[in-house]
Amino acid sequence: MTAAISAHGLSKSFTTGRGSRRRIVDAVDGIAFEVARGERVAYIGPNGAGKSTSIKMLTGILHPTAGAATVLGLVPWQQRRSLTRQIGTLFGQRSQLWFELTPRETFRMLGSIYRLDRDQVQRRVAELGELLEAGDLLDQPVRSLSLGQRMRCELAACLLHEPLVLFLDEPTIGLDLVAKQRFRELLVRLNTERGTTIFLTSHDVADIEQVAERAIVINHGHVIYDDRVAVMRRELLARKIVDVAWTAPVELPALSGVTVGERSASSLRLVVDTSVRPVRDVLDAVLLATDATDLTVTDPPLEEVIAEIYERPLP
Amino acid sequence: MSQTWTAIRLAALRTVRDPLALLVALAFYAVVASVISTLWRSAAHGHGGTIAGYSAGQLTWYLYVAEAAVTALNPRQIELTGEDIATGAVSVELLRPASVVGLRIATELGRCLPRLALFSVIGGGLAWWAGGAPVRPDGLLLAVPSLLLAVVCNLAAQHAVAAAAFWIRDARSAWFLYQKLVFVLGAMLIPVELLPGWLAATARVLPFTSMAYAPARLAAGHVEPHLLVLQVFWAGVLLVAAAAAFAAGERRLQVVGG
Repeated sequence: MTAAISAHGLSKSFTTGRGSRRRIVDAVDGIAFEVARGERVAYIGPNGAGKSTSIKMLTGILHPTAGAATVLGLVPWQQRRSLTRQIGTLFGQRSQLWFELTPRETFRMLGSIYRLDRDQVQRRVAELGELLEAGDLLDQPVRSLSLGQRMRCELAACLLHEPLVLFLDEPTIGLDLVAKQRFRELLVRLNTERGTTIFLTSHDVADIEQVAERAIVINHGHVIYDDRVAVMRRELLARKIVDVAWTAPVELPALSGVTVGERSASSLRLVVDTSVRPVRDVLDAVLLATDATDLTVTDPPLEEVIAEIYERPLP
Repeated sequence: MSQTWTAIRLAALRTVRDPLALLVALAFYAVVASVISTLWRSAAHGHGGTIAGYSAGQLTWYLYVAEAAVTALNPRQIELTGEDIATGAVSVELLRPASVVGLRIATELGRCLPRLALFSVIGGGLAWWAGGAPVRPDGLLLAVPSLLLAVVCNLAAQHAVAAAAFWIRDARSAWFLYQKLVFVLGAMLIPVELLPGWLAATARVLPFTSMAYAPARLAAGHVEPHLLVLQVFWAGVLLVAAAAAFAAGERRLQVVGG
């Protein structure tokens, strides 16, 4: 089976300025990766890294300057119309619903664009209403929906034609915490129940952590990291965080590889560099020196991991 | 074709769902058409009852219909379409298996149809009350398809002009100029017969007369079916021009970026 998404040496340069100020900017510079069918991939990077340009090339909106790519075996910029029937796109900041109409009415419009007959549209809307728990929203004017409710309807709109690959660009932007959580759960459910490939860009670490299995990090137009999210967290930072709860603060002996973080009358945070000292040594030292009532060992926040990747020099 | 009809139907529904905006547009149309037609009736009476072959009553019908043909459309369509191009909203529309400009024109046509129907009925009533019964009911009948063709021509031309935003990014100045051309060369405010000779000759070879003058002249009782033929011709030319301009713009967007 062909990969869902495949990119080899994909590049895009833009010319900016005129005359003596004319210069060429390499927005994407020779990226290469493959995404298998049914994978959930986060495509992340700082602002200006080349994420949107990559997505525009992969969806056929932009021609690359060099390189090759296929999505579901089609060359996006050459076979855009055919491809649009097989992919779904959701841009967090652009609505495809008409505010004066109900979602169901907009779906009728989209159904005719994708050449679905009336029965197919009704069946799909019923299924999606159930899957996205949006059945009761479908007959309310879009303008009366909350942002979270609207985003569920937006997702239904881009799933109407049963796309095999879903490109999501900042899909949870602007949502409140509860709506974000619900939206992420929906994406995972969609992937596990229907096998839809998910290619997601987001600046929200929780989107990456809770939705994606794999992260591709891009910066300055280059892919600088590509691995499982769990591996990224585990391997990239040789650090662990030890949180100690105690009843009486004491001075700990100085330990190499251990940095004392926040300290209060009831708690202490230690950051352990595991390449210098194993966590076990630190736990032993803490138990010996204090009346610790609780000990918690956690990985550093993914945000820190990602920030560290962004700061890496280019390959 | 089914997507075009669905777009027209649903867009019309959008307009109907906002009755307040519809009433405001109607009030604006009624006031402007009443004022201009009153001025022209006074001018006609001052010239022995007719000007350039139009009686005071005919001028009244002319102006109500010409105003309806133009004001039923969103006056800032070029600006809005240009903004959508400049901000990248159009590039997202490329991700649908449908013609971007085709769907846009169908949608705008659908949005303006309820306004056009309302303006025609209310405007017809006001014209009858102020200017008397139509001189030629068959002319009034021909004005109905002519009004539809007028808005199709106008929408196609506006989209062809708005496509300039693929290159120049800001189509606002184009909107301002275009509107004035429709007012003058489209003969919305002054029938072509009253324009200076050279300007009338220029107007007759340009598409703008198909956007206001044609339905207005037919409604005024000048039964000239060739005006409809000319409108069909211009509608075809302008739709092809809009499609070609968007196709070129989309190609540019794909190569240069949004």
